[in-house]
Amino acid sequence: MTGVGGIVADLVADVDALFVFSPSGANFEEIRATVDVPVVVVDTENAVGAESFIELPLQFTDVREQIRFALEGGIDQELIDTGTMVLCAQRLFDDGLDSFTRVRAGEFSQTGIYDLFVNSRAEPSVIRAVLEVVIGLGKKGQKGKPVGALFVVGDAGKVMNKSRSLSYNPFEKSHVHVGDPIVDVMLKEFSRLDGAFVISDSGKIVSAYRYLEPATEGVDIPKGLGTRHMAAGAITRETNSIAIVLSESDGLVRAFSGGELIFELDPEAY
Amino acid sequence: MMTAIQRILHQFWTEISSSLVPLMVFVTGVFTAIILGRLSKRLFMAAGIPDSVEGTTFERTVNRLGTSTTGILSWMVTLFVLALAVGLTLSIGGLLGTSYYAELLRGYLLRVFVAALVIIVGLILGDKVQVEIQNWLQDIKLTEVALIPPAAKYSILFVATLVALEELRIETLPLMIVLGGYILLLIVFGAIAFKDLLAAAAAGMYLIFLQPYTIGDTITVDEKRGIVQEVDLFTTYIESEGEEFILPNHIVMRDGIMRDR
Repeated sequence: MTGVGGIVADLVADVDALFVFSPSGANFEEIRATVDVPVVVVDTENAVGAESFIELPLQFTDVREQIRFALEGGIDQELIDTGTMVLCAQRLFDDGLDSFTRVRAGEFSQTGIYDLFVNSRAEPSVIRAVLEVVIGLGKKGQKGKPVGALFVVGDAGKVMNKSRSLSYNPFEKSHVHVGDPIVDVMLKEFSRLDGAFVISDSGKIVSAYRYLEPATEGVDIPKGLGTRHMAAGAITRETNSIAIVLSESDGLVRAFSGGELIFELDPEAY
Repeated sequence: MMTAIQRILHQFWTEISSSLVPLMVFVTGVFTAIILGRLSKRLFMAAGIPDSVEGTTFERTVNRLGTSTTGILSWMVTLFVLALAVGLTLSIGGLLGTSYYAELLRGYLLRVFVAALVIIVGLILGDKVQVEIQNWLQDIKLTEVALIPPAAKYSILFVATLVALEELRIETLPLMIVLGGYILLLIVFGAIAFKDLLAAAAAGMYLIFLQPYTIGDTITVDEKRGIVQEVDLFTTYIESEGEEFILPNHIVMRDGIMRDR
């Protein structure tokens, strides 16, 4: 015996729920057979067929972000409430679960990151695909130079009515959806020019080169962000869309919903 | 003296050849059968058959019997060639008339082989289709839906059995009539049930390819006015202040579109 059992016992004492992140099938079977508190699986897909499941939009590299997302998801799905003491089992290094975190569900203020993915007008898979495209753009840039981009996702009809065309729309009469293999290359090329991409609820790319004209009055975004972010924040306040922005100056990806900045992440970390 | 020796030698040679040639044919046949069996097994492996049959009931059953689908198929090849070799041996040995052998080769043996193959393919295909449909329908928690995958599986098995019986020249007319009735029912019910969906999809093709209106346009259809939010194969989503209309595409085509400029 190593004598550290006492510390671990403290860690796991009277937890109300267990969140398991990306377990393998065997892991999960073992946990389900032995653990008496409710078990919630958090993963990009429900491969183990768990009853309680929270879908991650992408594999977070930041453990804090991942836990935060899972807790918000748990509260949103009413699996837990803010008072619940949750034990998170995760894999940091090797293949098995190797780290445990004890956290109260109300520890973080609700940012709406889970809400953004799951309860937006657009389908979660569409938002996920757009986020992946933007992260890809942020990583590679355009021929090594940093690029900026603005994607408005969902409620496309209204967004189109609150914007105007800067140039001939390359996606007119096309049937391209985000997530199609060719799209990455196309979007990368088109991101060279200014303007926003408009994407419908089902993921169809409606237009590129849109100049957004929402009323920016009363939109409160953090100081230091430019007009692209201002436009993104404002359009999400005027319509039921969400906006995902890649900043040209600092290279970060930010998501807006309801006029508010919901989260920001560094594409280099993914 | 010389002629006597020659005669003896000749007799000896005929004796030898009449017993040795069939023996050699038989041994060659057995080896060919084994080698062909092995080769076909490799061929099946290379063709990815083990992967494509994985998880089907047939594969699991034969696994429990200590073999696999590829094993069974290659065994069938071996047996077929073996039967050919036996037939050939017997016909050379004079025990079986050559015409009988030809008949056997052309007729029943081949038919049994094909029939067995059809049944196996039918079993595997049926399982595969069942699993695929199950995966496809797994999100629909409706008890009645659970009937569809087995129904598809047994339909395939039924057709496979019919083909196999036909191959064996067994009377299948009553079964054919049952099959005909079944297909007719499917078509009639399908046509009635999917009438609107088909009409909507046909109209949707037109709307998607020619795009008389697009996302963001304000249109009026069937006295419903709003901004187009989405056009898919079956429906058009129109949204106005606080209301969202989901219109089947054939309604759009039938009633015409008024586009606001």
